[in-house]
Amino acid sequence: MKSIILSSVVTALLVFSGCADKDPAVDTANSGAKQAAQEVEAPKTETVSAENSSVNSNSNSFDLATLQGQIAPVYFDFDKFNVNAANRDALSADADIAKANASALSLKLEGNCDEWGSDEYNFALGLKRASAVKKALVAEGVDASRISMVSFGESNPTCSDKTQDCWAKNRRVDFKLIP
Amino acid sequence: MKIFFSLLMLCSLLLSDATIEVIKKVDSLPSLAVEDSSSSYDDTFKLTFFKSLIADLNVLSIFNVDRHHNVVHYNDTNVAVENKDMEYVLRYKLSEDDSGALNVESKLIKDKTTVFSKSYKISRKMVYMFVSHAMAYDINEFMGKPSVAWMKRKVIFSRIVAPKKSELVISDYTLTYQHVAVSGGFNVFPKWANKAQNAFYYTSLDGKQPTLKRVAIRTGKTSRILSSDGVIICSDVSDDGKKLLLTMAPKGQTDIYLYNVETKKYKRVTKYGGIDVSGQFQTDNKIIFVSGRLGYPNIFSKKLGTREVEQMVYYGKSNAACSAHNEYIVYKSRETSNAFSKNTFNLHLISTKTDFIRRLTATGVNEFPRFSRDGDAILFIKNYESQSAIGIIRLNHNKNYLFPLKYGRVQSMDW
Repeated sequence: MKSIILSSVVTALLVFSGCADKDPAVDTANSGAKQAAQEVEAPKTETVSAENSSVNSNSNSFDLATLQGQIAPVYFDFDKFNVNAANRDALSADADIAKANASALSLKLEGNCDEWGSDEYNFALGLKRASAVKKALVAEGVDASRISMVSFGESNPTCSDKTQDCWAKNRRVDFKLIP
Repeated sequence: MKIFFSLLMLCSLLLSDATIEVIKKVDSLPSLAVEDSSSSYDDTFKLTFFKSLIADLNVLSIFNVDRHHNVVHYNDTNVAVENKDMEYVLRYKLSEDDSGALNVESKLIKDKTTVFSKSYKISRKMVYMFVSHAMAYDINEFMGKPSVAWMKRKVIFSRIVAPKKSELVISDYTLTYQHVAVSGGFNVFPKWANKAQNAFYYTSLDGKQPTLKRVAIRTGKTSRILSSDGVIICSDVSDDGKKLLLTMAPKGQTDIYLYNVETKKYKRVTKYGGIDVSGQFQTDNKIIFVSGRLGYPNIFSKKLGTREVEQMVYYGKSNAACSAHNEYIVYKSRETSNAFSKNTFNLHLISTKTDFIRRLTATGVNEFPRFSRDGDAILFIKNYESQSAIGIIRLNHNKNYLFPLKYGRVQSMDW
């Protein structure tokens, strides 16, 4: 009897104190045939933050947008992270823009993959691609300290069809110019 | 006689190995029917609850569950005529009280005798699924089967809703209950911070550098842990919650780092010049991880504080994700390598103590395997077309269950 009273008190304390344990757990203290209904608690989770992507804006936004439009992405072969011959000219042209008109800006390289895999390895592959582009840019004379990198894995597709052309478009490194 | 006993012992050893498939077990499972005696609520809700309960009872994998919806009076001494041959009958009654709370009375009947009964109460009817999970959990306990405590745990996952836009969602294990915990922005790789599931880590990709953050659920307080150029991901949390295995690339080179939550210091664990990611604690001082050191992704292990690296998996040409529980490792293997058509990814289970390999899935894209804390079940993501589902594999019962996501695509999840 004592233990039933004790467990009832503990149950009541847990229920009324809005306790830390958010498990939708059923207190199993009582299991007799004529027990009272057990409270099942749903998780009282709240939306804890609403972060929106920060958008960099300044008075030169028009110029920035124009320059941004001139820098072309670099595309990669399936499961590869080396810059192939077909993309080398495009990369050189990007390096020229980075050194000339965009010389006052920082460069953020965004590595992307196709949809085949949503794990850390895919993110690492995206980063390898960004890293290959960074090396090529530095070799072309772009200051390494201006370049930062990020990998978005498969989470930033430009094309969502189930075709090989589409997957090829998603295996890329994008350039973002940052004031 | 000796030979007979040694054969018997060998058989019992094999039976306790989870890499061995259990087949032809279904016939021997007891039958169970479910009877609805609800007095409140409309038919739609009554049927929704019934389906949820049937799904939970099925996942227990200890009954052959009859799917027919029979309505009987709660106090009837006889079970429904259709169920007279059933070994067990679970009867329940939903009722709404004055405060709008959902009350559930339930009893398990065997041979016209109530062998187990329990009542439940939950404040809102829309979170009914937690009552249904609790009922299945209690029946499993009553039957004396290995615990399914994971049924009551919460799942956290990131859902891609648009390119570079995601939500972090907390749900029950069937994804029926969903609460968006972090909305807006581009946040990926959520990971529970401790056993109690009262905080979680995630990677924010919105700022200049990828940043690891921690959210305390109760207070809603978000704190910044670390930033790294390229990539930062919390791959695993130690049992005591004091150590993290991070994948970072401060110099553009992905490696695994061990982070101490109390001292806030970290040190590099792997030093290979290619890709090392997805560190998972196997024991306190041994990790398994995914590395590209053979020219393709594969699973390796390393003792912390030593240079010793051991290849763990010898099957599969591309094994890019893994999860460990004691001697068992579940990993994802790419079975086709095709740039021009759809590829197949399957999950496999190995034991470090035997040479057996057990394939756990058969078709489609199966990834992100995660052992339950007790190793009884594996949760994974199955992607097909542009939709995702969360799957559950009951290892000892050789059964898989899928729970589809209503919209969006699961990027990663933790259990």
